[in-house]
Amino acid sequence: MHIPDGFLPVPVWVGGYAISGTALWLSLRQIDRLPNPQEGVPKASLLTAAFFVASWIHIPIPPVSVHLMLNGLMGVLLGPFAFPAIAIGLFFQAVLFQHGGLSTLGINAAVLGIPAMLASQLYRLRWRLSRRSQPSEQWGAEQWGPDLAAKQRWVTGAVAAVAGASGLLLSALVFCVLLIAVIPASVDVQAERIAIATLTVAHLPVAVVEGAMTAAIVLFLERVKPTLLQQL
Amino acid sequence: MKSIAIDTYSHLDSPLHRWDARAKLIGLFAIMLAFASIQQLVLLPLLLFLSGLAYWCSKLPWHFWRDRLRWPGRLLFLLALVLPFAGGGVEWLRLGPMAVYEDGVLALLQIATRAISILTVGLVLFGTTPFPTLISAARSLGLPAILADMVLLTYRYLFDLGSTLDTMQTALRLRGLRITRLKRSQIPVVAGLIGSLLVRSYDQSERIYSAMRLRGYGTVAQRQACLWPSRRHVWGTGMALAIAVSLLSAEWVWSVFPLV
Repeated sequence: MHIPDGFLPVPVWVGGYAISGTALWLSLRQIDRLPNPQEGVPKASLLTAAFFVASWIHIPIPPVSVHLMLNGLMGVLLGPFAFPAIAIGLFFQAVLFQHGGLSTLGINAAVLGIPAMLASQLYRLRWRLSRRSQPSEQWGAEQWGPDLAAKQRWVTGAVAAVAGASGLLLSALVFCVLLIAVIPASVDVQAERIAIATLTVAHLPVAVVEGAMTAAIVLFLERVKPTLLQQL
Repeated sequence: MKSIAIDTYSHLDSPLHRWDARAKLIGLFAIMLAFASIQQLVLLPLLLFLSGLAYWCSKLPWHFWRDRLRWPGRLLFLLALVLPFAGGGVEWLRLGPMAVYEDGVLALLQIATRAISILTVGLVLFGTTPFPTLISAARSLGLPAILADMVLLTYRYLFDLGSTLDTMQTALRLRGLRITRLKRSQIPVVAGLIGSLLVRSYDQSERIYSAMRLRGYGTVAQRQACLWPSRRHVWGTGMALAIAVSLLSAEWVWSVFPLV
């Protein structure tokens, strides 16, 4: 889902830079409001590097092999740092591997980063749902007993799975709509639309894997390093 | 882990290596954006000429360009297999049941030329300057401090974490893990691998933050002094901006008064 240089008409890549610039400004404003904004910088940077490296892991889903996008998980773990982290990750993809491009950096960051911001907000719902599943002090303890921890884990896993899958699906959807929108008028639009629709549908199993993987990673982190899940 | 550093040849000596990083960033980025805006076929050879000239002046080795073009080259090849046959307009020639269309071929030419030219100028920009110098230049041109710090730290630890992942994957293979088709039972294993990588990087970041705090990070002004480069460097930027503006003007003129 990295659009290379030269593929897009001017209004699309300029619009991409405008959208990404706004999202970046909003994220930086949110970061500035944190009690100690600089404290999050090393954590966000190292996690950005880790996500970048994790995207090198190829998952065989026959007949193809895919790499995880993990933008939903980035939203979950990085909170307001998610969009800058994705923009930086894509910048490195373009500079070090020539995946994507510098003129299309804005649109690529918007395609992957905005769903990550939404996934971050979605994951915050977990706290509300967890609170709702918390028994009241008067009658809860004996009624819920050891089931409470299991129920909370289930809620966490489910919300993380939805955040992970929706992050990828939203990105795939925006990417495909974008491709349809920029097809030159003279090209066989019908054939191209069918190809793009097929591409979108092909992302469904990948979204399922992404959701399952996000849930499994979040549950792993909850067990091993719960402080990582307290958003930056 | 295979080296992926982009600034391997930044120690060479050429006019582009000597060009001030801030001036070069402005000039070459403007040229890249101008290249991305070109639609007129008549201007495409000029794009190839200018990017080729910049690469030749930079004295970067030929294999550096060839290696870096491998991935975009594959994409362009795939596009070449589709676009000429899916494009509408006038039919140019017929290959059995398939027809090659004029519009498809022209669209392919446009995309490929823009992609190769932008990539070449990008390689000149990043290949002739040490990466930290380039980010410092961007910082002095107004890149927010948080972003500049994140870029530098990510770049610094990218290679370390890449090696860590290599080691972890080797360890998994030695323990018999072979994923040829993802099974449900393997999801926790891969999740554990990624999770461990995240935990390691998080722990490392805690140590780095403590070390940075000890060195005064966050307590003193981080802004660097912004001294303007000498007139020679500014002339270079002026020339690059003039090329970018000329290209955009030519594009506009040709779209309003098409001569070809």
